[in-house]
Amino acid sequence: MPSAPDTEKTRTAKAPGSAPVVSVTGVRHSYGRGADAVTALGPLSLEIPAGEFLVLVGPSGCGKSTLLRLIAGFEQATEGAVEVFGERPDPGSQAGIVFQQPRLFPWRTVGDNIGLALKYAGVPRAERPERIAGLLARVGLADTAGRRVWQISGGQQQRVAIARALAGGKRLLLLDEPFAALDALTRERLQEDLRTVSAETGTTSVFVTHSVDEAVFLGTRAIVLTNRPGTVALDVPIDLPRTGADPDELRGLPAYAALRAEIGTAVREAAS
Amino acid sequence: MPTSPSLRERTAEAAAPVPPGPPNKGDGRRARPERAALLRRIGLRVLALAVLLGGWQLVTALQLWSPVLVPSPAAVWRALLETSGTHDGVRGYQGHTLIEHLGISLRRIFIGAGAGVAAGLVLGVLMGTLPWVRVVLEPAVAFLRTLPPLAYFSLLIIWFGIDEAPKLWLLAIAAMPPVAVATASAVASAPTALVEAARAIGARRGQVVTSVVLPSALPEILVGVRLAFGIAYSSVVAAETVNGLPGIGGLIRDAQRYNQSDTVVLGLFAIGISGLLIDAALRLLADRLAPWRSHA
Repeated sequence: MPSAPDTEKTRTAKAPGSAPVVSVTGVRHSYGRGADAVTALGPLSLEIPAGEFLVLVGPSGCGKSTLLRLIAGFEQATEGAVEVFGERPDPGSQAGIVFQQPRLFPWRTVGDNIGLALKYAGVPRAERPERIAGLLARVGLADTAGRRVWQISGGQQQRVAIARALAGGKRLLLLDEPFAALDALTRERLQEDLRTVSAETGTTSVFVTHSVDEAVFLGTRAIVLTNRPGTVALDVPIDLPRTGADPDELRGLPAYAALRAEIGTAVREAAS
Repeated sequence: MPTSPSLRERTAEAAAPVPPGPPNKGDGRRARPERAALLRRIGLRVLALAVLLGGWQLVTALQLWSPVLVPSPAAVWRALLETSGTHDGVRGYQGHTLIEHLGISLRRIFIGAGAGVAAGLVLGVLMGTLPWVRVVLEPAVAFLRTLPPLAYFSLLIIWFGIDEAPKLWLLAIAAMPPVAVATASAVASAPTALVEAARAIGARRGQVVTSVVLPSALPEILVGVRLAFGIAYSSVVAAETVNGLPGIGGLIRDAQRYNQSDTVVLGLFAIGISGLLIDAALRLLADRLAPWRSHA
């Protein structure tokens, strides 16, 4: 099994004393007010160190997307504190975000969707075409910059959305079930490509999914949330080779199967 | 990177499904039945028009009504020729050819309705983004919308006299409400998903408006603009009831005074046909400016 220890990003690789990228402290979040209030999440605390690929797994309605929205800064926690790079979360300033739907701007071409992200990230106009080409190549979509959004497939649109999220050069990437709406084959390909991109860049990532297999395949750490209100049911490191492994080979490892079983059991228990 | 060629190949493979050719494959297969359907539709319309003209000719040939009440197609055609050139030393109708009358009215519509559309856009964006502006202005816009233009024309004449100003004001006031209402509702209902996507890439408040709110509102705004021009079109005769010559509305009013029903009918045709052409142009413009609407 070829592995490259220097690029391996696991929890054990965290330098002692370095500040976490994300820290969630005693957070509880509820929707609605008064008697109608529904607690969706918490109380919950966790820290995400730099370079980690954290996957949040759980049954639907467990508040995993809520947690991601709190980290993104789209919502403020009812109780407790969320900090990203030591600051209050603010959309667009600390993290790149990929949603379940591509959410591309249909009035812009594929390239201009990414160009807008580069513009807001302060990249000079002259440098943008080259950067767009580079980002598109990175998600396997070279030479599509001039196309209209509706001229490419759903899987390709989601790739563009990932490229757009990477455009800001943020050191944190938040992904909310980005592959859930895709067909199985496309999903598998995107998972493999995201795994490669993530291993190459070493970007800290938080990935929300309800798929146990996706969690084991992509993550360096998995957290299983219980049913509403979501709290941590299981927090487990995933110590599998990050680079150079053939996906099928990886899925054939005994450690892979063991993690799948452990996380799968936790999810089933959380759902009941 | 010694170990990742297999993954890279896969990445390259993933790009392969992008066909390099024209965007819509399979157009050739669909084109033939679509073209046939188009031809059938056009044929049907030409036929309907012919039947209508034949009926008109028949009614006038049978002389069911006096030619003063129902002028024959030939009389209208003669009126067209007479108003298009100089006959017996008289140029066109009252010194202006039909095209000139129409052109002057169109100019009024474009300036007046254009100003009304611009004002409606500004008001609509303000109403759609600032709730208190909406609360304050919505009743006023709705009130203005219910008034028939001829009703406030009297006031405009008292204020601005009988020259161009009251006519342009009338068309502007008539065109403004539909654009304001359409813009306000489109801007207020900007898709949350795309607004969030813009915020996620670092758009600030004003940038969200320019990068998402306005583009997503554009198709609805363009519908409002079409509506505004339609209303301005149907108001132009009202705007030209006082001192309307030259102008196509003035021509109709003036011809009515002398029972020249053939010229009246001619004026109606001129307004109707040019109105259809402008609406078609606006629709084409909408498709060009917002091509994603038909693909969403």
